[in-house]
Amino acid sequence: MTTDIKKTGVRRFFSLFMLVIIWEVLSRAGIINPFYVPAPTAVLRVVFSLFSEGTIFSHLEATFFASLVGLAIGLVLGISLGFAAALISWVADVLEPIMLLLNAIPRVILAPLFVIWLGIEIPSKIALAVVLVAVLIFFAVYNGIKDVNQLLVDRVKTLGGGRMVLLREVYVPSVTAWVLGSLKIAVGFAFTGACVGEFVAATRGLGYLLQFAQSTYNAALTIGLIFLIMAFVLILFFCAEAIERRLLRWRYRGPSEKPA
Amino acid sequence: MLRVRDLELGYGQELIIEGVNLEVAAGQFVSLVGPSGSGKTSILRAVNGLLIPRSGSVELSDGDAALGFLFQDDALLPWRTARENVALGLRIRKFSKDAALTEADGWLARLGLEGFGGRFPHQLSGGQRKRVAIAQILAIKPKLLLMDEPFASLDAIVRTRITQELLNWVEREHLSVLLVTHDLEEALTVSDRIYLLSQGPRARVLASYDVSIPRPRDIFATRKHPSFTPLLERLWNDLSDTMNSPEVEAQK
Repeated sequence: MTTDIKKTGVRRFFSLFMLVIIWEVLSRAGIINPFYVPAPTAVLRVVFSLFSEGTIFSHLEATFFASLVGLAIGLVLGISLGFAAALISWVADVLEPIMLLLNAIPRVILAPLFVIWLGIEIPSKIALAVVLVAVLIFFAVYNGIKDVNQLLVDRVKTLGGGRMVLLREVYVPSVTAWVLGSLKIAVGFAFTGACVGEFVAATRGLGYLLQFAQSTYNAALTIGLIFLIMAFVLILFFCAEAIERRLLRWRYRGPSEKPA
Repeated sequence: MLRVRDLELGYGQELIIEGVNLEVAAGQFVSLVGPSGSGKTSILRAVNGLLIPRSGSVELSDGDAALGFLFQDDALLPWRTARENVALGLRIRKFSKDAALTEADGWLARLGLEGFGGRFPHQLSGGQRKRVAIAQILAIKPKLLLMDEPFASLDAIVRTRITQELLNWVEREHLSVLLVTHDLEEALTVSDRIYLLSQGPRARVLASYDVSIPRPRDIFATRKHPSFTPLLERLWNDLSDTMNSPEVEAQK
């Protein structure tokens, strides 16, 4: 089993490595135009210089700040509204159409509006990340509570549990599972919100830098930033997965030996 | 212990139970049998307060606190370990966390699950989960057990073993039981009285049968008792008549 996983890992690494080598060779040989697709070594050089010259750090700080603050506010807002809508019917009547509408549209189109309302600094980026995350989490919580296993609710009731016990023993753990299941997607959404917001109008951030690279036809910087953003999102994704596995250990702990 | 009078239950416009009367005396084991859809489970839910009757009454001499409900599904909280699940009812009854967990460990040991307390439900076999569910109910020391086909999902060997253990426990502690089952042999083996319900909707009690096989009972010995087979045939014929009645045929 472990050997199979190792073999798969080696194969994947090898295929990626081969892809980079082929890309490098084709670019150096001039078969693909380096102006449009610069060689991986050229991209690496640009990324390295961003770090060695220190120019990237203020941009990283801006993007991470907007993403993580947006993620945190989006989580709190989504969980609170989801709980309120699931437990109070008139709140559901008010919120459901708004959330359905927000869910139906590509929410990044709100970015220009947030720039008009909140300016080109970080608050408009946070707002976009919040909207992206909050709608996702709202539906995770709202559907999570509505689809809660009725057998568990009956079980707690028959043991004598009231509303508070139900909330603590059934609803909160059920919803936690749903929210943590969506956390990995929410992390990506938060980063998307921050970057797209910066892309539209900003003075700092990876999105701003990307927009600058594109406007100056700097393909090496553009590709480097794309890979950098992918790497950061993947790191956050794995952090979210680690949190999920830790908090939902009841789900992930494997089956034990079952004596007859 | 339990007296159900002129019970009427319904979902929406449909009346599923009509004018049901039944009693469970202290220390008595009573079964409800009947065709699928006759509303057996709904009666249990009404007794436990999970379903509000349209009319009629459910009288419990010792109040709701003396009730224990064993579901068909083990319905354990998946995010709680076996011992935390067993301790849940005790925690609701204001036991301190440590006291509840210690008590839970004792119940798990009594049900042959010593050393399994730290496992989550998905790490246990079907039989082990069922034992945890039984421990959870017995831990709150009920006087009346309501059981809704609790062992239907288990294989024959585990089912027989757990049924015998529970029967021993019920006889030793003089618990009252109201069991819902579709298994006539099981009903006859464990019960003092059996109520037969008619086909639903508007199901009612068609007949009741007293089972005068002495206690304590052994599952296999009980099935060899001279009165067992004649009673089983009578019950079987009455149930078949119910399902083949003109009213039911008209509904098909």
